[in-house]
Amino acid sequence: MRLTPLYLRILLLSLFATMTLSSFGQDDLEKALSAAPSPGHQKVSATFKSTKLINGHTNETIYKNELEFKVDHRFGDIAGSQGGIKQFFGLDNSTDIRIGFEYGISDRLSIGLARAKGATNVQQLYEGSIKYRLLEQTTDDYIPIAITLFGSNTIAAVSASEDPASAAAYHSFKDRMNYVSQIIIARKFTDGISFTLTPSYIHRNLTAFRDQNDLFALGAGARAKISKRMAVVIDYFIPFRNSADKAYLQGINGTKFYNPLGIGLEMETGGHIFHLNFTNAAAIEEMQFIPQTTSSWLKGQYRWGFSISRRFSFNKK
Amino acid sequence: MKTIYFILLISFAGLSAKAQSILLSKNATVSFFSSTVVEDIEGKSSTANSALDSKTGNIIFKVMNTSFQFKKKLMQEHFNENYMESATYPFSEFKGKIIDPVDFSKDGSYTVSVEGTLNIHGVTKICQSKLNLVIEKGIISAKSVFRIKIADYKIKVPSIVFKNIAESVEVRVSAVYQPKTI
Repeated sequence: MRLTPLYLRILLLSLFATMTLSSFGQDDLEKALSAAPSPGHQKVSATFKSTKLINGHTNETIYKNELEFKVDHRFGDIAGSQGGIKQFFGLDNSTDIRIGFEYGISDRLSIGLARAKGATNVQQLYEGSIKYRLLEQTTDDYIPIAITLFGSNTIAAVSASEDPASAAAYHSFKDRMNYVSQIIIARKFTDGISFTLTPSYIHRNLTAFRDQNDLFALGAGARAKISKRMAVVIDYFIPFRNSADKAYLQGINGTKFYNPLGIGLEMETGGHIFHLNFTNAAAIEEMQFIPQTTSSWLKGQYRWGFSISRRFSFNKK
Repeated sequence: MKTIYFILLISFAGLSAKAQSILLSKNATVSFFSSTVVEDIEGKSSTANSALDSKTGNIIFKVMNTSFQFKKKLMQEHFNENYMESATYPFSEFKGKIIDPVDFSKDGSYTVSVEGTLNIHGVTKICQSKLNLVIEKGIISAKSVFRIKIADYKIKVPSIVFKNIAESVEVRVSAVYQPKTI
């Protein structure tokens, strides 16, 4: 019988074991403890602090039996033709306001209800949403990324427009429906730095004449902690438009489409999360800010915005 | 080949002889309570590890900070993220010695003093406590309750939640030891 590497390994191991155990005092105990089995693949917690970065969603959901109340606000243009001191740098106007509730059915599944003003002529929006954590990153990189699925249905309650080319020229109730589906891929790289990538699909049952009913977009976002409770957040969306339709729409009313970019500061104070942000997107709902951002950072058409969220727990155990 | 078996035999013999006095507990519990007028906070871990050397009286408790469970999941997140900084300091550990003599081979209940060092949040402090030992048919159970000041361990509580978190928390540990088997 030949001396196989397996025998060698056993031999070495047992020798090491004898040597280590023959040392005295506390070391024995520590060695005995380190031999205890490790608890397995640990889930990475708090990839992000909030369910949203600025405009886009993160992979985070609300934990079981917890309710989040969130208020989002976007003011008017800070600079440019609509901004400046006359409008008090946008504070006289609000382009969009959203009040939302999100509730955790389980640690992986949460549902939401929200009401938003709406920034285009599609207004008085009611949003129902569902968010599900499909995959959670583990600390040992057994699962290197987290994947969360998001779906929403937004119903516009605004009275139907008489203009047949308008996005609000509703004939029936189903014309008012808008759907958003997103696959949120996230990774926490270090304790303080996390990224997301969000392939998105938006379907609007009714749009302005020659606007796209179906639109694909890609979102990206990041969060970097600057202190224990403060972080810089940033997100960006690229809609993949049909160039012929884009040229037509831009030709008829002289407005141009821009990609929404947001940058902000996140503050967390145990249950409350505050966001102060700047973005060129006027709208808050995905079905509007992704396809219909017509304001540009370079023209001073960015705005101050904030969000405040508070979590309540109903766990009684 | 015979030589290998011989070496193996010797090494295992040495191992078991040495290990007999070491007792392990893999499902020890560590819990803490913070109680204020505003809020009661409780965290509990049932996956702490402990080892006890019945010959020398040396004792170790080690708990993974992320294993503490809370009534509110968000609290658990805050506990790890903001207070314990579990990514940097993953474990809390007590290393000490039972000062009073105990005959571990005899059934009975003993209250003994334990002295050692407690490491939490990267800070090591000298810690002393009473330990209640119950020995029954060779199975040893240990229990201890003590208080620690969170400021001692450089865990900062921001003024906004100052009323929610107590300055000193009560820590309870308990373990049931099984003789080590290899």
